[in-house]
Amino acid sequence: MAQTNNKELGKLSFEQAIEQLRKIVERIEQGQISLEESLQQYEMGMALIKHCRAILQQAEKRIEMVSTDQQGSDQMPSS
Amino acid sequence: MTYESLPVYSPSQINAIVRQILTEALPERLIVRGEIRDWKLHHSGHCYFLLKDQQAVLPAVMWANNFRTVRFRPADGMAVLATGYLDVYVAGGRYQLIVERLEPEGTGALQLAFQQMVAKLKAEGLFDPAKKRPLPRYPMRIGIVTSPSGAALHDICEGIQGRWPVARLLFFPVPVQGEGAAEQIARTIRWINQNKDRFALDLLIVGRGGGSLEDLWTFNEEVLARAIYDSQIPIISAVGHEIDVTVADLVADARASTPAKAGVVAVPDVREVLDQIGHYCSRLTNQMVSRLELAKAQFAAASASEVFTRPLTMIRSREQQIDELSVHLVDTLRSRVRRTVQVLDHYQVFVSRIEPHRLIGRCALAVSEARARASAAIASILAASRCQVEALAGRIQALDPRAVLARGYSITRNAGTGRIIRSIKDVELKDTILTELAGANIIESQVTAKYNQIRSVHGSDKQQGTG
Repeated sequence: MAQTNNKELGKLSFEQAIEQLRKIVERIEQGQISLEESLQQYEMGMALIKHCRAILQQAEKRIEMVSTDQQGSDQMPSS
Repeated sequence: MTYESLPVYSPSQINAIVRQILTEALPERLIVRGEIRDWKLHHSGHCYFLLKDQQAVLPAVMWANNFRTVRFRPADGMAVLATGYLDVYVAGGRYQLIVERLEPEGTGALQLAFQQMVAKLKAEGLFDPAKKRPLPRYPMRIGIVTSPSGAALHDICEGIQGRWPVARLLFFPVPVQGEGAAEQIARTIRWINQNKDRFALDLLIVGRGGGSLEDLWTFNEEVLARAIYDSQIPIISAVGHEIDVTVADLVADARASTPAKAGVVAVPDVREVLDQIGHYCSRLTNQMVSRLELAKAQFAAASASEVFTRPLTMIRSREQQIDELSVHLVDTLRSRVRRTVQVLDHYQVFVSRIEPHRLIGRCALAVSEARARASAAIASILAASRCQVEALAGRIQALDPRAVLARGYSITRNAGTGRIIRSIKDVELKDTILTELAGANIIESQVTAKYNQIRSVHGSDKQQGTG
C-alpha cells in the first residue's frame, strides 16, 4: 500500500504534497487512529517530506537552466 | 530720399526674417497660458485653435503625432497650458504657436485622464476585490512580462530567486513605454493565456521600473487593464516606484510597489518552507515515537497479565466462580419458592375465616329490621296525613254555603233560568222563584211585586221582592 502511494506521490505538486503532509500531521496528533493506521500515515508523511525536499532541491538546478534560457529562447507572439 | 535706395524683399524673404527674429527673441520652447477658442480637429488629425486671453488671441496648431499623446478631450473655453514654440506659417504669412503638449490648467492632463480612467473602470467593476484571483502559495512557473532593457527584469528575478529558487521563470520581453506599448503588453498577456497549457504558468508578473507619469502611462491604458482583468492566470503588477499607482495596479490580482518587491508578493521564502517541512518531520517522528512507546508499554502490561503467566489459574478461578454462582442460584430459587408458599398460606387463613352461612343470617336480620322500620315509618306518615285531611275537611265544611242556611239564610233562584237572584233585575213580576232552606227544603213562590225599601221611604211606588 505504501508503495503505490509512493508512486502516486511523484505526481503530486508541491502544494498538494505539503497540504497532504499538514493533514497527516494533524491526524496523527489528534491520536484518534489506530497504531497500525498511524504507522501507515507516518510512512506516508515521511515519503511526502522526502518528495517536498526533493522538489525544493531539484529546483535549484532548474533556476540556472532558466537563467540561461532567459536571453532569447522564448519567442514572442507573432502580431 | 529716393525710393530706389530702399531694399526690396520678396514675401518669402520677409517671412524668413520674421521667423528668424522670432526664433532669436523667444525661448526655444515656451508655455502659453490661455483659453481654447475655435477648437477644430481636422480629419488629418491635426488640430487648429486659438489661445486667448482678455485682450488678444494667438493662433495655435497641434500636429496629429503630438495630439495623440493628449489624454483628455480639449474643448472651447478650457483653460490650458500649451507647451511648444512660435513659428511662422510662411504660406499664410502668419505666426502661430506649434503646440507639442497640451495640459488642462490646474490638474495635469495625465492626472485628469488617470482619474477619468479609474472612475470608468471602477464603475465597470474591474477593481472589484471579489473578482481578484487568489495567488498560488507555491508558484513553480512564473511568467515575467517586462522590457528586456530596463532594470525591472533583473530586480524581479533577483527578488524571486533570493527567496524561492524553486520557481522556473519565463521571460516575455515587451516594450513598456511609448505608442503601442500597452497594446503589445495586452496582446502578450492574452497570448500567454491562450497558450496556458504550453507555458503552464502559475503566475504572471507585469511591470517596469520607475519613470515619469508619461513613461508609466502605458500601465494606465484601458486596453492593458482589460487584458489583465480577463487573464485566467493570476497577475501581479510591479510598476514604477512606491508612490506610483497605475490602473494596472488597481486591476491586477496583487500589487508589488516596485519590481524589486515583486518577489515578496509572489513567492514564499524557501527557508521558511524548509523549516515548516522540518517542523512537520519532527512532529511526525515525535508522535510516532511516543505512540510506539505507549504501544510497547501496553504490550508489556498485557504480557505480564495472569492470562499469559498462569492461564490454568485463570480457568480454575473461573470454574470456582461458576460453582459459587450456581450454588447461589439454587439458594435463591429455593428461598423464592419458600416465600411464595408462605404468602399463599397467609391468604388461605383469610379465606377460611369468611363463613358464608353466618354472613347470610346477618344479612336476613338486617333485611327484617329494615322492613319493620319501613312499615312503622309508613304508618306514622299515614296517621299524619289523616289528621291533615280531617283538618282540611273541617275548613272546607265551614266554607260550604249550605252550612249558612242552617243559621236562617236562604238561597233564592229564578225557576225559569235556574240562576241565583242577586239583584231585583234577575226576576220579573209573575216569575216563579225557588227558595232553598237548610235541609234541602224548597219553597216555590211567585213574584208579585218588586221594590226597594230604602227608596220606598222617599218614593210612592212599591214593589215586593225577596232577599
